[in-house]
Amino acid sequence: MTAPAGTQPDTAPRVAARARRGFLRSALTIAAKDLRAELRTKEALNASLAFSVVILLLFSFAFDPTVEETRALAGGLLWLVFAFAGALILNRSFARELPNDCLDALIAAPISASALYLGKALANWLLLMAVEAVSLAVFGVFYNAPWTRQWWPLAGVVALGTWALTVVGTLFSALTVNLRLRELMLPLLVYPVLIPALLAAIQLCGPLALGEPLASDMMVWVRLLVGFDLIFTVLALMLAETALVG
Amino acid sequence: MDERNFLYMFYGFLAAWLILAVYVAALVGRERRLQREMENLRRMIEERQKEAS
Amino acid sequence: MREKMLIVFCVLAAILLAYNLYVILLVLPDEAAQGPIFRIIFFHVPAAWTAFLGFLAAAVASVLYLVRKDLRYDAFAVAVTEVGLAFAAANLVTGMIWARIIWGIWWTWDARLTSMLVCWLLYAGYLMLRHAVEEPTQRARIAAVFSIFASVDVPIVFFSIRWWRTQHPQPVVWGGGSMDPAYWNTLFLNWVPLLLLGLAMAGIRLRQERRRRELEALRRMAHAL
Repeated sequence: MTAPAGTQPDTAPRVAARARRGFLRSALTIAAKDLRAELRTKEALNASLAFSVVILLLFSFAFDPTVEETRALAGGLLWLVFAFAGALILNRSFARELPNDCLDALIAAPISASALYLGKALANWLLLMAVEAVSLAVFGVFYNAPWTRQWWPLAGVVALGTWALTVVGTLFSALTVNLRLRELMLPLLVYPVLIPALLAAIQLCGPLALGEPLASDMMVWVRLLVGFDLIFTVLALMLAETALVG
Repeated sequence: MDERNFLYMFYGFLAAWLILAVYVAALVGRERRLQREMENLRRMIEERQKEAS
Repeated sequence: MREKMLIVFCVLAAILLAYNLYVILLVLPDEAAQGPIFRIIFFHVPAAWTAFLGFLAAAVASVLYLVRKDLRYDAFAVAVTEVGLAFAAANLVTGMIWARIIWGIWWTWDARLTSMLVCWLLYAGYLMLRHAVEEPTQRARIAAVFSIFASVDVPIVFFSIRWWRTQHPQPVVWGGGSMDPAYWNTLFLNWVPLLLLGLAMAGIRLRQERRRRELEALRRMAHAL
C-alpha cells in the first residue's frame, strides 16, 4: 500500500526531527507572545532602562572618573547595572502570567514546560539586550568610552553574559513565581549562582568597553562563559518541568 | 607581636567553636519549641475528644 | 538516627578532640613562618571539608527527592545543608582571623575565602527559599531544584575565582599544599571528630524534621475535630 501523495512514512529520525521542530516552534511562539506583550505596555522595559541609565549617569556624576579609573571600573560597573536592570525584567517574566490564571493555562497548553521556559528565556534575553544596547550608548557618551572600536567582540561577550543571566534568572523566576517576597528573593538567589559568569563578563568587558582588544590570556574567560552558558542551559531545560509543574 | 599572634590563635579556636555552639543552641531551641507545640496540640486534641464524647 | 548513636558520636568526638587539642597546642612545634596562628589550620581546613561533604550530600539527596518524591530525602537535604553552612561559617571566620594576623587585614579576596563565601551565600539562599514556602511538597520540590543548581555552580565558582586570582595575585591566606607530614596526620585526625559532630548535628536536625511532620499531621487532626 503506497502512502498518499505529499506524505512520507514515519521513521524514527523523522519523528525526532518533527518533535524538535515542534519544540523550537513552540518556544519561538512563546517568545513572540512575550515580546509582543511587553512591547505593548513597555512596563518592565521602561523601568529597566530608566534604572540603568540613571545609575550610569549618577555614577559618572558622583565619581567623575578619569580615563584610567574608567578602564578599571568599566567592566564591573556595566555588569552590575545590567544585572540589576535584568532583575526587573526577569521578575515580570513569569509574574506577568499570574493574573487571570494565565500561568495555569500555559502549563495546561500542549507544549512542553521546557519549550515554555525556553521561549520566555529568549524573550527576556532580547529585551535585556535592547536595554543593554541603549545603556552602552549612554555609557559611551558620558564616560567617553570608545567601545565601538571593539563592538563586535563586545556584542559577543554581552550576548553570552546576558544569556547566562537570562537562563538562570528565568528558571528561578519560574521557581519563585508563587512565593511571597518574590521581588526580593529572585535577585538574592540568582546573583550568587551567577558569580562565575559575571566575573568572566566583567573581566572581558573591561578592556572591550574602552575599545581595547582582548589579550590572548583573556580567552579563558570566554571559555568559562561559554561553558557556563552550555551547562546551565542544559540543566535549566532538564529542570524546567519540575520547576513549573512538579 | 608574638603575643598577639598567640591571642588570635585562641580567638580563632574560640570563634570556630562558638559558631558550632550557636548552631547547636539553635537546634536545642527548635527542639524545645517543637516539644511545646506537640504538648499543646495533644492537650487540645484530648480536650476536643472529651467534649465530643 | 537513634539517641544512642548520637551520644556515642558526641562522646567519641569529645575524646578525639581532647587528644587533638593536646597534640595541636602542646606537642607540635611552631610553624616557622607563621607562628602559633598556624595551628588554626587544624580546624579551618577540616571545617571546609565537612562543609563540602554536607553540600555534596545535599545535592545527592535533592536529586533523589525529585526522582523518588520521598520527603525523607528533603529532610536529609535540609539537615546536611544547615550543618554544612555552620561549618562553612566556622571556616570563613577562622580564615578571617588568620588573615588578620598574617596580612593585617580582615578580608582579602583570596581565592579560597571568596569561593567559600559564595558557597555560603548560595546555601544561605537555599534556607531562605525554604522559609518562603509553606506547603511541604512544594517546598521540597523548589528547594531541590535550587539545591541542584547551587551544587552544579560550586565547582564552577571555585575554578573561576581561582583563575581570577591567578590573573591578579593577591594575598593568599594559606599557601600551597606542601606541609610537614606530621601536620597532615593531625589535620586528618582532627577531621574525624568534626565529622562525627557534623553527623550528630545532622541526625538531631533530621529527627526534628520528622517531628515537625508529625506535628503537621497532629495539627490537621486537631483542626478536623
